[in-house]
Amino acid sequence: MFYREKLLLEITTVSLEQITILHNRFRQLSQNEESLRKDDFKTIQDLESNPIRFQIVEAFFDKRNFQKNDVGSVEEIGFEEFLTVMSYFRAPALHITEEKREEIRRAKLRFLFNMHDTDNDGTITLEEYRHVVEELLSRSGALGRETAKGIADAAMLEVASISVGPMAPDEFYEGITFEDFVKILKGIEIETRMYIRFLNMDTTVMCK
Amino acid sequence: MEGFWTVALPVLKVWFNSLVVLIMLPAMFGISLGITEAYMKILIKTLEWATHRIQRASRAEEILKHSSSNSLIQRNDSSLEQEIEDLRRNRPKSAERGDFTLSDVLYFTRKGIESIVEDDVTQRFTSEELVSWNLLTRTNNNFQYISLRLTILWGVGVVVRYCILLPLRVTLATIGLSWLVIGTTLVGFLPNCRVKGWLSDLVHLMCYRILARSLSATIHYHNKLNKPKKGGICVANHTSPIDVVILANHGCYAMVGQVHGGLMGVLQRAMERSCPHIWFERAEMRDRHLVTQRLRDHANDKTKLPILIFPEGTCINNTSVMMFKKGSFEIGGTIYPVAIKYDPQFGDAFWNSSKYSMVSYLLRMMTSWAIVCNVWYLPPMIHKEGEEAVQFANRVKSAIALQGGLVDLAWDGALKRARVKDSFKEQQQKIYSHMVVGDDSSD
Repeated sequence: MFYREKLLLEITTVSLEQITILHNRFRQLSQNEESLRKDDFKTIQDLESNPIRFQIVEAFFDKRNFQKNDVGSVEEIGFEEFLTVMSYFRAPALHITEEKREEIRRAKLRFLFNMHDTDNDGTITLEEYRHVVEELLSRSGALGRETAKGIADAAMLEVASISVGPMAPDEFYEGITFEDFVKILKGIEIETRMYIRFLNMDTTVMCK
Repeated sequence: MEGFWTVALPVLKVWFNSLVVLIMLPAMFGISLGITEAYMKILIKTLEWATHRIQRASRAEEILKHSSSNSLIQRNDSSLEQEIEDLRRNRPKSAERGDFTLSDVLYFTRKGIESIVEDDVTQRFTSEELVSWNLLTRTNNNFQYISLRLTILWGVGVVVRYCILLPLRVTLATIGLSWLVIGTTLVGFLPNCRVKGWLSDLVHLMCYRILARSLSATIHYHNKLNKPKKGGICVANHTSPIDVVILANHGCYAMVGQVHGGLMGVLQRAMERSCPHIWFERAEMRDRHLVTQRLRDHANDKTKLPILIFPEGTCINNTSVMMFKKGSFEIGGTIYPVAIKYDPQFGDAFWNSSKYSMVSYLLRMMTSWAIVCNVWYLPPMIHKEGEEAVQFANRVKSAIALQGGLVDLAWDGALKRARVKDSFKEQQQKIYSHMVVGDDSSD
């Protein structure tokens, strides 16, 4: 187990302790098997009440997130892939260059982009965007389909106006490309919004 | 072959006789010869030594078994509204209208990943991890080779458990069960009178004591004054099917359950003959009114034994108490709460029914070192005026959790098997959509 962990440490910048914690969690979710399936995520109760759980679970099985320049999706993942996806939420490093920081930021944004862009054509089309909006808003009575559609359209217009500038009424907006996506979310500190903070376990024991 | 039997038979006879004298008879009359105490002392000493060895060998292993701190990640306690406001504040100035932005997705994504890393409920359905090792590989998820001496000790432990303890316990259990069936059937022939009730109690107690010995169960009863009385309802937290034996070892209860076939069915019919229990046909269980009515009739009759109910509905791993189903609390009558806490050091009593069948579970129980548990009888509680059944159930649940040192959770035990109701998912959506639509200044 220790050799694998050293290898994983090189791929991601998660600490050894965090890897062990995640490994335990992986085994718990997969019921001590070698690989995790989509159904295994259904056992997490807190996740079930999350409106975009489908997209989140899909993100784990999306090959684009495995940093191997591959596309498509898989049926089951091993611990390596699980850790790679988790590493998108790693803590912001303190002493790194501007370039590295920008690289990490783009990687995190790419993860979010992939979550929306389900057919992997490089753009988030109106359809895909509408889908996300509908998931996030309630389907049950309080908000009809038309309202949700209306909100999605309005939001899409907003995005278009930022990226392309004001459009003529008959111009057709293809969809949000990755660059537009980055531009829109420029103001937001992705590093702090998109990371999971592990509590400090008893570190005195680790010091030998 | 002949030679084998001439040797084996007297050995068996001696063994059987010693069994009867040393274990069964004292068990039946409720006295203790001190053998169990000596056994436990030796066991504790051995386990302490084993733990010491592991600790000395590698200190790093300890943090893996840190069961005291339950949370792994730091969660942001702010609500949905606050976080989304925060996210929106950073929007570019040119786009002030529009009610929905991509950044809102960030909040939900993060919450989702947090729950994947750590989740309150799933933790409760796997067995508790121990801080020290009790020489049973089943309780140590990170079993590694530490030293030769420890491995030999473990090997000796396996031999003792499987070759000495297991046959002993199986024999005792068989004797106990058959005596239960025979005894209750005999008592059933008597006409209804006080003597019958007294004899039936005696038979039940004796048999349950033998069964408790067959599991090497050491039980400490606290607050015996609050023991459930006739005409009341006893509620307890549920960890395994053995809970019944633990409680019935000390007092007599009327059991509630579904009618089974096979061996269980034989037991049920026999017990029914000597004193009234409540067994439901499968079809009857769907009719809630019928169920409540029968339970109410039983409870109202002050000569009948207290009913034993486990309101959680399923086995929980004994670190927490889950939602109590309100059905048992609508019956009326006095509720006697009981808290049961097992000591995981000697054997893990939790029955993970999705992982182990009943038979393999019983096998595991009988090859553990011992079952040690504490039973607290809590003072009786009654339904207050104007209190809802659900509130009453929660009140009782909190009392039990407090006494047993368990965590009080609001989640439903049935989530072990089923999925979260869609209404929970919709709740999150409702709050969020309220925010978005409420902001609607355009159009």
